[in-house]
Amino acid sequence: MSRRYLPDTNLLETTFRTASGLVRVVDALTLPDETLEPMRELARSISGAEGRVRMRWRFAPRFEYGLRDPECGWRGPVPVATCGANAVALSHWGAGEPQWADGALTAEFDIAAGERSLLVLSIAHGEPLVMPARGDVERRLDETASFWREWTGSRQYEGPWRDAVLRSALVLRAFIFAPSGASVAAPTTSLPEQVGGERNWDYRFCWIRDSNFMIDALLELGCYDEARALFWWFMQATALTEPELHVLYRLDGGVASPEREVPIAGYRGSRPVRIGNSAIEQLQLDMYGALLETAWLYSEGHRRLDRDTGGVLGRVADHVCRIWRQPDAGVWEVRNGPFHFTHSKVMCWTALDRSIRLAERGELPNRSVDKWKRERAAVGAFIEERCWSDRLGSYTRSAGDELLDASLLMLPTVGYGDPRGPRINGTIDAVIRALRQGEFVYRYRAEDGVRGHEGAFVNCSFWLVAALARAGRTAEASELMNRLVARANDVGLYAEEIDPCTGAFLGNFPQALVHLALVDAAVALRDATAEAAR
Amino acid sequence: MILLRSALAGGFMGTIVMTTLMSAAGEMGVTRMDFPLLLGTTVTDSRRKAKAIGYVFHFLLGLGFALLYALCLAAVGRSTWWLGALIGAVQAIFTSTVLVNVLLPVVHPRIGTPNSGANEITLLESPGFLMLNYGRNTFLVTFVAHVAYGAIVGWAIRI
Repeated sequence: MSRRYLPDTNLLETTFRTASGLVRVVDALTLPDETLEPMRELARSISGAEGRVRMRWRFAPRFEYGLRDPECGWRGPVPVATCGANAVALSHWGAGEPQWADGALTAEFDIAAGERSLLVLSIAHGEPLVMPARGDVERRLDETASFWREWTGSRQYEGPWRDAVLRSALVLRAFIFAPSGASVAAPTTSLPEQVGGERNWDYRFCWIRDSNFMIDALLELGCYDEARALFWWFMQATALTEPELHVLYRLDGGVASPEREVPIAGYRGSRPVRIGNSAIEQLQLDMYGALLETAWLYSEGHRRLDRDTGGVLGRVADHVCRIWRQPDAGVWEVRNGPFHFTHSKVMCWTALDRSIRLAERGELPNRSVDKWKRERAAVGAFIEERCWSDRLGSYTRSAGDELLDASLLMLPTVGYGDPRGPRINGTIDAVIRALRQGEFVYRYRAEDGVRGHEGAFVNCSFWLVAALARAGRTAEASELMNRLVARANDVGLYAEEIDPCTGAFLGNFPQALVHLALVDAAVALRDATAEAAR
Repeated sequence: MILLRSALAGGFMGTIVMTTLMSAAGEMGVTRMDFPLLLGTTVTDSRRKAKAIGYVFHFLLGLGFALLYALCLAAVGRSTWWLGALIGAVQAIFTSTVLVNVLLPVVHPRIGTPNSGANEITLLESPGFLMLNYGRNTFLVTFVAHVAYGAIVGWAIRI
């Protein structure tokens, strides 16, 4: 059995070779058209390529995390399962005669070379099911493949690791919730960071933290419409709470639901399974920097901010002046804090720095610029005096400690300090000494308020690539990048973490932040290599 | 004239209340019934347009049925809220049995029946007896909404 994405698409092809023949299966979430299509549609096309192969399939619908039993039945020849406002139908053509048994549907059929079968899962929420016609599904499958090929063909990235960058672009595009333009951090919940452990989190939300990475990547890849939609989604979502910001929002822009635990076994016995994310209750200062950096990048992309947006961002900057001295939970959302995290302070510095730059361009009100400059200098002094260790020759994880943290690799990314200067280079070297294992970089080696251990966060490794590239250490960066790209799974995707000892994926999958970090690392290396050649 | 005006006014108010009740029930996950989608797809296969057209259809039907209520109540010679509610109850039963399962499939090109497949054209799920295919509480919602509609129309009509 082998898998691949059809070139330049998000259609997954799985090839089964048996003693009697060869079969190709293509899975796709089809894109809606202007007809009466199902609310959501997952199509599976099965094509015989060689010989004759016996196929068997099973469909076991589960609703509400498997906590409620569905009602299984038929609408004519189409099997359906319903539960409250939700319903699914499985239309099938040439795929056997399915029968319900114990809440699951099973069937067997033979497929010969040249034959094609089709299974289509139609999903309805709060409305009658739509049972699609075969011809309509096949047309949507073709149109969906064409859409992705055209979209990929419009991307502007030229540089090394192009295949990995374009696969990441396709993943990230698929993470965007079309009705709102918001982007999900990962489409899964509670895939464990330690199998059998309790580090299981719900990532099915949009984090402000990811916004600047996302906007940067979208603009870099020429996805202007998506960047515009995402930026305005952020401004709409944050307008409800500004100048304070929530850490994360639902994809529809609402405030995320509180964290709760679902009484089910979890992946390979990893409990609890969490729904919602209590990080929303934390103070995380870095997101203010993320939002202002996002606005700056958006503006840099030649999209001028309007007066109302400028007013909102100005109030956010004023708020940063009031709160940057507070300790927080930081980028990693630790549950034993708060601390004066260096990264958080740097992002406060970033927030004020970008506000000043935008005000100087006339895109933010300039009445507070002097205050922002004073506070930016104060944050900088705090970082340089309290968050630097002469003994380590490095910035530290938080003020006054002697620990290291992979988030320090982000300092040159946001333009803090001289990326080729001794302090940033010293920090890179210190992080490598303390946190690197092979091509992997742990985020920290410290208590964080949650029991158990974890793997290495893959985005940290790509952050290291980017930091090395921006420091002019392109040979080191390229060597590491090659090793990391080889660590993707068979179809080019990454989970949140990898176990450095076994290479196993851990945590939610696939994860946007990793693919965003990959794009940033590739771009940084491309630019650094070009600069070195000049 | 007063009969006509009061019937239309009652139909207007009743339809708003009925539509709101049914929409709220859908939002709360009580039922998957979506009358605007069902009605709108009689004339278009565009999901987006169907919902908008369906709302207009539903509203016009609400006004039209109010006139029928007025004729019935005029024949009885009096109009009260409970008489209107009674007619609404009868209409709910008629709608959930005969209308959506017998009459609607005759004129609706895109609605399934208990015996239809989905091989030739895309079809909407058949409602089933008492529209129970759309959820166990669908008939209850339909009944309450129509009784509320009838009560308002009956209360508003002046004979």
